[in-house]
Amino acid sequence: MIRGLEIPYLHPNPDISMKTAQEMKPNSVALIDGQPWLIQKAEFTKSGRNSAIVKMKLRNLLTGSSTETVYKADDKLEPVILDRVAVTYSYYSEPNYVFMDEEFNQYELNKDDLESVMPFIVDGMTDVCEAVFFEGKVVSVDLPTTIVRQITYTEGSARGDTSGKVMKPAKLSNGTEVKVADFCEIDDWIEIDTRTGEYKSRAKAPV
Amino acid sequence: MRPTWDIFCSVVDNYGDIGVTWRLARQLVAEHDAAVRLWVDDLLAFAHLCPEADVRAAQQCRQGVDIRHWPAPWLPVEAADVVIEAFACELPTAYVAAMAQRARPSLWLNLEYLSAEDWVGGCHGLPSMQSTGLQKFFFFPGFRPETGGLLREAGLLERRSSFQQDPAARQAFLQRLDVTPLASARLISLFAYENLGLASWLDVLAAGSQPTHMLVPVGRALADVQAWLGVSGLAVGALQVRGALTVQVLPFVTQDDYDRLLWSCDFNAVRGEDSFVRAQWAGRPLLWHIYQQQENVHLDKLEAFLALYINGLSPAASAALTAMWQAWNHGEGVGESWLALQQVWPELTTHAEAWCLDKASQTDLAAALVQFYRNWL
Repeated sequence: MIRGLEIPYLHPNPDISMKTAQEMKPNSVALIDGQPWLIQKAEFTKSGRNSAIVKMKLRNLLTGSSTETVYKADDKLEPVILDRVAVTYSYYSEPNYVFMDEEFNQYELNKDDLESVMPFIVDGMTDVCEAVFFEGKVVSVDLPTTIVRQITYTEGSARGDTSGKVMKPAKLSNGTEVKVADFCEIDDWIEIDTRTGEYKSRAKAPV
Repeated sequence: MRPTWDIFCSVVDNYGDIGVTWRLARQLVAEHDAAVRLWVDDLLAFAHLCPEADVRAAQQCRQGVDIRHWPAPWLPVEAADVVIEAFACELPTAYVAAMAQRARPSLWLNLEYLSAEDWVGGCHGLPSMQSTGLQKFFFFPGFRPETGGLLREAGLLERRSSFQQDPAARQAFLQRLDVTPLASARLISLFAYENLGLASWLDVLAAGSQPTHMLVPVGRALADVQAWLGVSGLAVGALQVRGALTVQVLPFVTQDDYDRLLWSCDFNAVRGEDSFVRAQWAGRPLLWHIYQQQENVHLDKLEAFLALYINGLSPAASAALTAMWQAWNHGEGVGESWLALQQVWPELTTHAEAWCLDKASQTDLAAALVQFYRNWL
């Protein structure tokens, strides 16, 4: 059973609990001055004297306009509860990436919609993702926290390091570059944390 | 009609918050014909920088700035054309409402901390949408053209240059502080937080062949100085000699006198934000004690500044300077790195002046704020 599929629409949050800007993650939606804004990107930075800011790229879900903005990390934002549907990536049909749920409903998103996950979209990926809906319209897709991808190119081990602490660049099949442990080789499969985009470990090939 | 500015300053610790906002307020009045109210929640801290201030007054005018004690609870006032919350302090809710209710809402700026990190340029000037319908803009001081720049008053470098080229002016200023160094003495100012590395520096200065006269304004570094001297209760004016090193305690001086102190010294150890910038305008070699942050975030900021500052230095000078700054900020011994610095001293001196002139070619922070307001209009 795919949760949320029956009513893939926005629910007004019955128990609005504000979240800090720091807690708002990419692909969540905040209601700001009455407008729903999709957070496409969020970068947390420590500024001075133990305070912090979050720089966000936002897209207005009513007008489609985008903007960059900054919040103090502890500024309060009103999250919008969104429906989510499990989907898998199906194919690319320019300019859209098509995802499909268990009942073969198709959801089309363009590159801008997928900004935060684009680096990890590859042909043939089997990850069970979550399509995110606002007022019945799919607005983005979340990847699982951990995904497995194959290295298509990396230099050989420079120092023969086996500790995993020495890192080097590696490319995935879609050209995305990831820092991996020095001992990783071409064709190796690796786990990546999609929240940070960072290499976690070597992995077995998905079955 | 003069534009009205409200600057809100919540004093958290030390004198950085009030130092920056007081300096900015004065400059906006003096150079940009602004009517400025400076709201301060701690007038005692303010009085350290402005000794003529009345710490009990709810309102007073100092150097053209309308100084207001930030009351708790807040008493409603009309909001200004431009509102600056300094260092992310929280504005009173009623005041924010007043900003929104104006015929033309106030321009709301959050003046952020100074950092040399790359990300600053990407965040400078960005808006922050608020639930009130207002937009708040983040304004970042910085060292690069894509930032808000540094506080620098008009004619500052000319005044500094005249002072440094006038031995009589220097001597008169130092005498006013009861400082009479030996003619051959190197003059050093020390303004720092507590630092375990200080003793090693004082050791090599005391053992050196050149006399050193170190001037220590009263403050947090004094306890470490006393511990090294093996004395307690040093008061303003106290003078202690150990080998080639003379240590003298100075009073906490006004900002203008602190500038003259920096201009008078051959080397300045500074801390935090305001004195750090002023030491750069002095055009003399400096040592920065950065404000310590959780998870050692401050070390990234230190490295970011060093990466900019050492540009143009020889490898030997870069290495010596970097080693001393890093050791100082890790609370480690700096004796060896101080000796290494002596080997490249002329280069460091020339570089400090060149750095100063280069930074002075950028728009200063007050002018950038005024321009931001004009563009916003």
